[in-house]
Amino acid sequence: MRIQSLRFLSLGVAALMSIAHIASYADETCNSPYMSGLIRGQEDFVHVWTLGVPGMGDGSDKLVTVDANPASKTYGKVIHKISVGGRGEAHHMGFTDDRKYLWAGGLDDSKIYVFDVGTDPSHPKLVRTIDNLSAKTGYVGPHTFYALPGRMLIGSLSNAADKGGVTGMAAYNNKGDFIAKYDMPTSAIQKIQGDGYGYDIAVNPAKNALLTSSFAGWNNYMRDLGEVVKDPEAMKHFGNTMVMWNLKTMQPDQIFAVPGAPLEIRWALAEGQNWAITATALTSKLWLVKRDAGGAWAAKDVATIGDPAKIPLPVDISITADAKGLWVNTFMDGTTHYFDLTDPEHPRQTFAKHTGSQVNMVSQSWDGRRVYITSSLLSKWDKAGKDNEQFLRAFHWDGHDLTPAFEIDFAKEQLGRPHHMKFTANPQRLASLVNASPR
Amino acid sequence: MPRLGAAARGATVLCLAGIAGAAGAGVDPGKATAPRMEFVPPPPGSYALQKIQRVADAVLLDSTGGAVRLSALTRGKITLLTFFYTYCADPLGCPFAHTTLADLRDRVRADRGLAGRVRFVSVSLDPTHDTPAAIATFAQVFNIDPAFEWRFLTARRVPELLPVLDDFGQDVSVELDESGRATRTLHHMLKMFLIDARGEVREIYSLAFLQPQVMFNDIKTLALEAGRTAAAT
Repeated sequence: MRIQSLRFLSLGVAALMSIAHIASYADETCNSPYMSGLIRGQEDFVHVWTLGVPGMGDGSDKLVTVDANPASKTYGKVIHKISVGGRGEAHHMGFTDDRKYLWAGGLDDSKIYVFDVGTDPSHPKLVRTIDNLSAKTGYVGPHTFYALPGRMLIGSLSNAADKGGVTGMAAYNNKGDFIAKYDMPTSAIQKIQGDGYGYDIAVNPAKNALLTSSFAGWNNYMRDLGEVVKDPEAMKHFGNTMVMWNLKTMQPDQIFAVPGAPLEIRWALAEGQNWAITATALTSKLWLVKRDAGGAWAAKDVATIGDPAKIPLPVDISITADAKGLWVNTFMDGTTHYFDLTDPEHPRQTFAKHTGSQVNMVSQSWDGRRVYITSSLLSKWDKAGKDNEQFLRAFHWDGHDLTPAFEIDFAKEQLGRPHHMKFTANPQRLASLVNASPR
Repeated sequence: MPRLGAAARGATVLCLAGIAGAAGAGVDPGKATAPRMEFVPPPPGSYALQKIQRVADAVLLDSTGGAVRLSALTRGKITLLTFFYTYCADPLGCPFAHTTLADLRDRVRADRGLAGRVRFVSVSLDPTHDTPAAIATFAQVFNIDPAFEWRFLTARRVPELLPVLDDFGQDVSVELDESGRATRTLHHMLKMFLIDARGEVREIYSLAFLQPQVMFNDIKTLALEAGRTAAAT
């Protein structure tokens, strides 16, 4: 995003706030924490789903694997990369239920790549490409990959018919076969109008709850941000809703008005907790979705992120394993924030630091001691000129400050624009049934 | 390939069900917690279950040592299938799975509309030690009602089990000791597969989703669906 776009973005947000319905967006250390194989202590590898850049290396989207174990001789270095042979706006990815495979999507070409990261996480292999999302569902722009047992639930951003924001979710089995589609609601539920937009999806099994957020369609996310914010009509086309679904029936139960593109969603999954949190990109708020004593869910904004008037543009968030803290990156001012969530109804920012000219994704290690940040938001939305830094930065976190651990310049290394990150660890002292039998 | 010795059979054993690749420095099983159900499940028949995948056929062994086609035990009735091994001792692993299944068995037995329409199938992950005789002994605890079909299966050899595991997407690995020798700990993610009478997987439950009332409603939903299909034809 060009700096001069800020002024227009402010105007665009004002326009957005004046329209009837609203939307949102968010992310997590592990997308399905109720599944398995969470990482204890030090992660060994960080996998970075990276957008190809014309003229930079092979120009292709690629999965870049970085050695993240300080005890390793190649700590902080790129140890593996696998190109997918094209450029389709690499964006998010998610593990399967057993964390053996990583599904990664392209927002432009709607292709889905399945990488084997279980056999040898230091050398992921591309084992399957799924290219029938649009044909099967009419959706385009696969965004969130959320594991359910034996399946992947995919939240999309757009549709093939008009490339707008009306979209839905698709379910595939772990073999890559299409199972079902679920349109985001476009009618009203309990007098709250659905906008049909989608973005993130997050599940709470104990509550049979599936929560979704909303962002924008292909027409906006594949267009130069400076142009989008100068176009009042385009600025009307951002999501302003979240939807609470019945996970078992896959039917929408409630719609919440959450203005300003709510993005990543994170559940507090500990026993006794009954809430999820998200951040709105355009209105710079934290929103809490909480169940009341009567069993109904409600959404309310509980904190501001930076100075909303300056449009810091909150992007990714990462919740701590105990749901007592939340990292938030704001793209425009390149700041990484930490909020104390001890009282989720009153989050308090306790730390903020400038971590780059542009910062987007943030992922905290499961033990809370390290924080990883990447720079790229979208190929058409990243800043230009010297502010177009493209990096993976790793930090140590001692509860008070972020101190640099290592950094990889993705432009200098001819890799591309780094976006989503996932962690893996070596499966030590385990053997396949093929090679060993219990004594 | 290491094999179980008599002394080792008496050793303390551990199953880390619900965990994939959890040993060593890197991957953490985390503290497994029993599933919670903090909602009122939707009533049977008010929703449709996804058609996730068809079950591939295979030849396994039953508890008498006889060869049996898996297709014969995954069609014709609503089937709840899981993987286990007899010496698994993790409270939230195979024992928890079978406690859940016993609960469901009793619910099914109490529902006259489900009489003769539901079976359970438990397939061993360890053909080496879970011989037909071993699973027959294990099954005695659960087969309390001759009218309720609960089959326990194993395989002649590991290679005959592997395609079944692959088809269901059931991971399993063997923990090694510091010298690289296999231990008696198997790592696998606890899953149960609900299969309709036509051999199609309609729901999969991992530990967080092992909610007996929901599972029972799912079974009844498939029974109602089959009734509607039969009426339509």
